[in-house]
Amino acid sequence: MKHLFLLLAISFSLLTKAQNNAFQAGEKLTFTAGYNMSGLMTDFAQVTMETSSVKTSKSTLLRLKCKATTYSKWDSFFKIRDLYESYVNPKTLTPYLYKREIDEGGHYKYMKYNFNPISNSIKSQMKKRRSNGTIWEVNKNYGISGNTKDIVTTIYHLRSLDIKKASIGDSDTFTVLFDNEEKKFKFTLVGIETINTALGKKECFKLRISLVNSDVLKGSGNLLWLTADENKIPVYAKFKVAVGSGELKIKSATGLKN
Amino acid sequence: MRKTAIYLGLIFSIIAVVLAALPFSNFAFVPAILAFIFGLIAFFKSKTGVHKKSTIQLIFLLTIIALALATYKSVYTVTEVGDTEQLEQREDNSLEESIEELDDIDISE
Repeated sequence: MKHLFLLLAISFSLLTKAQNNAFQAGEKLTFTAGYNMSGLMTDFAQVTMETSSVKTSKSTLLRLKCKATTYSKWDSFFKIRDLYESYVNPKTLTPYLYKREIDEGGHYKYMKYNFNPISNSIKSQMKKRRSNGTIWEVNKNYGISGNTKDIVTTIYHLRSLDIKKASIGDSDTFTVLFDNEEKKFKFTLVGIETINTALGKKECFKLRISLVNSDVLKGSGNLLWLTADENKIPVYAKFKVAVGSGELKIKSATGLKN
Repeated sequence: MRKTAIYLGLIFSIIAVVLAALPFSNFAFVPAILAFIFGLIAFFKSKTGVHKKSTIQLIFLLTIIALALATYKSVYTVTEVGDTEQLEQREDNSLEESIEELDDIDISE
């Protein structure tokens, strides 16, 4: 599941920063995560991406929320209940707070980053459940580079960029903070393809994703399709595993901006 | 040849039954078909001499069980998310905590 999010967590800073015309508060995208082996497909989880407005006493922030939930038939075998959240500036998509709480087959981990965009620093908190049930907590403060974002914000930031101005073959790297490490994603616009989705036949930007200096997301089989319209909905993602491939397919989309 | 077919048929039929019982029962069809093919080979090879056919019968029995179970599950199992009550509770709690934490932040700064 971590890889599903890693796969989605790419960005496309080939161009100048664009205004966010791709999404608004109240949008909900639902995906089916599955495993494909030689054409035999088995669905194992539902992934949702939701946006909502959050009011504090001084500001109105945008809450970006991603959830992964295994289907009931898998729950007794390997239960996943993951929650990823990011609270961002609705105009600039600058992250202020990121939370990741995963519960995967009994493995529990909580990660929180409090971003300080002025000093480019992070206050991080990690909690892990030991095998005896007790919680192990680690707190850290460290500096980050100016353009580093969390994984959830990166997914949405990608959608806000003006990809249609990029040329086929263009590539760039983008920094994502994951597990207290800054990871650099390289991504390439491979082409424009029309694919069949649950939302109908869609013309899409096909992006290839790789992680710099890592064996994760290695090779050319890690791909993401974003609709080539103003919404830039991630309709399909594919990532290679040892045998077969993992897939993320759009199931429904509501509250779209355009 | 006959013995090899029996061994392979038995192995594939057992794999098929195990896969059919697991959540990814779709994958049981491949070993079940292979078990059926090896079962047929073993059956026709056994016709030429006096051989016991009980193992071959077992291969067919296991294959039928695997196919029936996998077919039943593919038709009647509804793909729906399980119990998410705890997750929803976590979401609500997290939102409340986040609002408290973000209260001092002024994004216009």
